Amino acid sequence: MSERATVEIPDRDLESLDSLWSGGLGEAYNAFLRETEDARVALAAAMVEIGIKLQGIGSHVAAHGELLLGDLCLARASRLLADVGDQHLQIAFARVVERVSSDAAAGVPAPGVRPLLMAALAR
Amino acid sequence: MIVSRRLRFDTEQPTQFIDLTSRLQDEIHASGLRAGRLFLQSLHTTLGVVVNENEPLLLADFEAMLDRLAPAGSVYLHDDFERRHGVPADEPANGHAHCRLLLLAPAMTLLVEEGTLVLGRWQSVFAAELDGPRSRELALQLEGDFVPGGRGVLPHHHPGDLVEVELARQLAVDPKPVQLPMRRLVEAGGKRLRPTLVSLTGRLGTGYDPLRTSTLAAAIELIHSATLVHDDYVDESPTRRGRATVAAREGPARAIEVGDYYFAKATRVIAELGSPPVTSTVAQAMEAICRAQIDDVALRGQYPGDRTSYLRVVQGKTAALMSAACVAGAQLAGAGEDVVGSVRRYGELVGIAFQMADDVVDYSAESGKPPGQDIRQRTLSLPLIYATEDREVGPEVRELLAGELSDSEVERVAELVIASGALERVGQEAREMVREAVEELAPVPVDGVRSRLVELAHSAVDRVS
Repeated sequence: MSERATVEIPDRDLESLDSLWSGGLGEAYNAFLRETEDARVALAAAMVEIGIKLQGIGSHVAAHGELLLGDLCLARASRLLADVGDQHLQIAFARVVERVSSDAAAGVPAPGVRPLLMAALAR
Repeated sequence: MIVSRRLRFDTEQPTQFIDLTSRLQDEIHASGLRAGRLFLQSLHTTLGVVVNENEPLLLADFEAMLDRLAPAGSVYLHDDFERRHGVPADEPANGHAHCRLLLLAPAMTLLVEEGTLVLGRWQSVFAAELDGPRSRELALQLEGDFVPGGRGVLPHHHPGDLVEVELARQLAVDPKPVQLPMRRLVEAGGKRLRPTLVSLTGRLGTGYDPLRTSTLAAAIELIHSATLVHDDYVDESPTRRGRATVAAREGPARAIEVGDYYFAKATRVIAELGSPPVTSTVAQAMEAICRAQIDDVALRGQYPGDRTSYLRVVQGKTAALMSAACVAGAQLAGAGEDVVGSVRRYGELVGIAFQMADDVVDYSAESGKPPGQDIRQRTLSLPLIYATEDREVGPEVRELLAGELSDSEVERVAELVIASGALERVGQEAREMVREAVEELAPVPVDGVRSRLVELAHSAVDRVS
């Protein structure tokens, strides 16, 4: 909780997902924060990365609870990007999820999610 | 008997095909015309009427063809104002538009049978704007046999047809490993309540655009379908709409991938519409659905729960997307805040009522589902909650639910729920919610779709499957 306080994320944005902070969400957030000045965009990117990881896309079959948490991460990311109002990022992040999930369904080795998100941020 | 009407609308582009099929169908319905003819006549010299397929690329082809045959940049004597007499100060240089109308028709007759326009599967009726943007008017005459007292037969396939085309179009471009499982689900049917709500409320503003509305409607149906794909894995449901679920047929990994792909795709398609309020509305609904799903699973430990927790879950799992469908449609059309607020509450109430009716249907032999499925899957259900609170049958229901549920226990619980009168109580509550939902529409201008919204609300609860 104290670590979370230092990054000043509103409670609403981490509601029900607090437990993921130390499990990778915090590290991902800080990594994306180096690429963007907007904390909400960094959090959205981190949510996408952790959501996909939780759901085991391309790696393992997620248990029910992980799937639902992953869904919430992806939905939260969409809502954060809607709050930011950046249409380009909304489309680019959605394309990352489309690519990763369809590659996994096709059995194609998926590129890392973080580089794809970083590339979307850099554009 | 002949009924005369005027159809008014604003166009937004120099050349634009405006799909009028739904509005014409509404006029037929409002007039009560059962069988006869609808005459349609443009009151302008640069506005035509045409029947063709509503497919965006084809419409672009038409526009390109008109431009090739009568290019906007060519020389037209009509545009040489010095050679004409009495030219108004605001006369546009639109010789090309007048020439283009020669290629189209200024009027047409359409047949009506059983209160429905007689159109082929791919046919839509368009106004063809050739010199927009402008305010336009069409004259209509309806002639034939009318239902006494007005209000005709509701069409069977309206306004969803365009949405079905758009759904098929959106799915057709997706990678096969995700497309095929989703197509099986979408093509298996479903009530299409959410896209119908979008199609109706999408007509409530001055910016109504059938193509953009159907794009939004199809995207919202894809979100709903994606939630079903994930839900079926979590609930371990073997079938949906009479077919094996994605998880049962192709495994949970594929179900997760398909759900994620279509969540993302729908999000992108909606973002591409370029309406920040619509994007926000749908994003908030998706978040509410996911939160409620987590809540729902957590509550299974305290099964069957209470009415408060039931309503909280249903508001998120069912009502949020129905309400968002209503709101997003209205927002996309640029409807006023009062209309948006009313359809938001309408959608929420209809969504909750729909779920309550669904709970009741679970006890019906005509539901088409295995009897007592909600009990077996320990799904939150209001009749069951009320039965556990009943002084007479409650203790036995609670005792049965505390143990393993074999077929005989499920059957006994169902008997007790029916005996408790809980089904009637829930049915009454659902109908009361529908009444409130309809009341929400009373003070706002939703003419043209009011009767359909009212009917849809009632049909959400008056059903057996």
